[in-house]
Amino acid sequence: MSVATAPRARLARRGGWPEALTSTDHKQIGLNLGACSLFFFLLGGVFALILRTQLAQSNMQVLSDNSYNEIFTMHGSTMIYLFVTPMAVAMATYLVPLQIGAVRLSAPRLSLAGFWTWLAGGLVMESSWLTADGAGRTGWSSYVPMSNSTNTPGVGQDLWVIGVILVALGLTAMSICVTVTVARRRAPGMALLRMPVFTWTALLSVLMIVAAFPMLILAMTLLFIDRTGAGHIYTGFAGAIDYQDLFWFFGHPVVYVMFFPYLGGAAEAVAVNAHKRWFGYTAFVVSIMMFSALSMAVWSHHMYTTGGVTNQYFAFTSTLLLVPAGIEYFDMIGTLIGGAIVLRASMLFALTFFLQFLVGGLSGVFVASPVLDYHAYGTYIVVAHFHYTLFAGSIFGFFAAAYHWFPKLTGALLREGLGKLQLAVMVIGTNLTFFPMFFLGNDGMPRRVSRYPTHPEWGTLNLLETIGAGIIALGVLIFLINVIVSLRRRIVAGDDPWLGHTLEWATTSPPPPLNFEAPLPPVRSYAPLLDLREQQLDRERRLEGAPA
Amino acid sequence: MLSPPPGALSSLISTRHEYDHLFGIYVPIAIGVFLTILLVVVGAVVIFHRRPPERAARWHENNPVEGTYALVLACVAAFLLYLTFSAEHKVDTVANQQHPSVVVFVTAAKWEWTFRYPGYGFSVRSGTVGRQPLVVPAGEPVRFMLTSDDVIHALWIPAVRYKHDAIPGSTQIVTLSFSTGVFDGHCAEFCGLRHSDMVFTVHAVRPASFAAWARSKGTAAVP
Repeated sequence: MSVATAPRARLARRGGWPEALTSTDHKQIGLNLGACSLFFFLLGGVFALILRTQLAQSNMQVLSDNSYNEIFTMHGSTMIYLFVTPMAVAMATYLVPLQIGAVRLSAPRLSLAGFWTWLAGGLVMESSWLTADGAGRTGWSSYVPMSNSTNTPGVGQDLWVIGVILVALGLTAMSICVTVTVARRRAPGMALLRMPVFTWTALLSVLMIVAAFPMLILAMTLLFIDRTGAGHIYTGFAGAIDYQDLFWFFGHPVVYVMFFPYLGGAAEAVAVNAHKRWFGYTAFVVSIMMFSALSMAVWSHHMYTTGGVTNQYFAFTSTLLLVPAGIEYFDMIGTLIGGAIVLRASMLFALTFFLQFLVGGLSGVFVASPVLDYHAYGTYIVVAHFHYTLFAGSIFGFFAAAYHWFPKLTGALLREGLGKLQLAVMVIGTNLTFFPMFFLGNDGMPRRVSRYPTHPEWGTLNLLETIGAGIIALGVLIFLINVIVSLRRRIVAGDDPWLGHTLEWATTSPPPPLNFEAPLPPVRSYAPLLDLREQQLDRERRLEGAPA
Repeated sequence: MLSPPPGALSSLISTRHEYDHLFGIYVPIAIGVFLTILLVVVGAVVIFHRRPPERAARWHENNPVEGTYALVLACVAAFLLYLTFSAEHKVDTVANQQHPSVVVFVTAAKWEWTFRYPGYGFSVRSGTVGRQPLVVPAGEPVRFMLTSDDVIHALWIPAVRYKHDAIPGSTQIVTLSFSTGVFDGHCAEFCGLRHSDMVFTVHAVRPASFAAWARSKGTAAVP
């Protein structure tokens, strides 16, 4: 191991920062995007803590109304445009070529340009804080006519719109590169139906980005034209509905973009830590394809209360999502049963991902019903629902992936003890923060308010949520400490610390510039390394004369 | 206009009732599914952990079982959709065909509500301008004609489990019914600086009290 890592360490040091930031190696691009996303995660988390401080009691007056609106807008925008989505793309960019046995990414310069465009978009969006009128302040969805120049004048809101356009352009470019890589650079034997589970989830994510993000670019460009005063595009009732249709045609697929790679990461962690290949592979692939197809046909379930869409159609497609979702859970359980389970931090995060996401998924079936959504829409029921999918779900999936692949990225293991402590802290914090929101919403608390009536239970529940948010912050802090400690005092991981199933574990940690130095093992299924181990085991058993 | 037609009460559509009915089916199913999966996952982990890797089973597919399971899921989806569509038909279609006992024109604007009673020729206002209550007769269909002067707002009365958007350039028609009581109302679509203050109170009173209140407020007589 140490022999293998020495020449690479020299290579990485050769160019230093300038080389790292201009590298066309997909691993470096993925790391850059992931690191920047993680920075934005911390920033968005700080915004969340400020929001929760304001909401700790009914009228805290920590923030002015205007500041509150800026911060909730930038919390959502930072988390969605600058963390959960780009982190999904970062994981895809880093891992997909490795998992399919490719030596490099297709069109790597386009991917690099995409990264820089996305980063520019992020910086433009956050730079709106520096303007005299303040940051974007009409929510991450920025409905018209609220977001036009009459109702929300100012350069800050313009910068927010431009930022979103650049972010969408950048991520679309990067997604094209991953898609083409899957199409053209699979190793011999790597048929589409032998691609690892994570690669499938990542592929469908980038396909959804390519299909849906142009709609966001269009919606925001038209909004910008309106804001300059040059256009009268979003006018009247039709204009308001058109914007929402365009926005949610992006905005719903992105929900699955922010889910799939984390699902794939958690699925890999479950399979590897159960020492058993993922159950029901074909059904799983079909189900996530059905998921992706439906995700392009459910967008107006965000618009049940507008009176401008056919609610039954969108209720039909949205409720149908429970079929592929149910298959995923079946496959996860099928993988556990009969396995040889090791409860590492990655496994615990993955199982928690599935269980907590389930709360978000089941409440999703609830809000898919128009009659139930007439009450739930725009309230803390919805805030609870999507934080259970995005935070209690995807972010836990991200940590499962982080504990699973950190050794591959760095060559060092993360500390298991700190990982389990982080999990315990975050499970408590997450449920304390988000579960009371269901009750508040059902009881009548709207979202996006900086003050609320002084019902005694509301104050108590909100205070619990604020405490929970602080506990989550502690959990994230433990993760950062774990990363720093693990990089400073390295426990060498080796090529394959977990008995991995897929090709990235057949190369060194971290992988060399062209990914694989040794010849690839034969690919005869979606778990080629497990195949090798099973063959080896069978040979040993035959030699011992035991029945195979 | 004030006296409901015979049998109106029995056919009165209550958004609260429809919500509670669906809630009472959706939520227990969801809790049951959650507990089942939690139990199975914990059980599987307890049974199958700390075995040597070479003892892990190798079976990894059972398409007939998964196909049957998918069919069961589709039936669950169909069942939920049947319930939802039946309830939605009542709330969105049948209610609006009922003869209302009173019509209220609701105009939302930053950051106030104006409730106009055209049958009586007066309006009340609530939000940043004050807190005049929206008074409605209980136990009878009340028709709201919703519009907005500026941005999108949403009229939400949590006690009746219903909200609807007020969008500039359109008038949206909804029909609700109330039991007697005093209820909070909020704007539920983010509408800018003082969104938090866009609140109102609903007083649902007996029809006779409503008539007396409306006559005392109104400058015009009942037609």
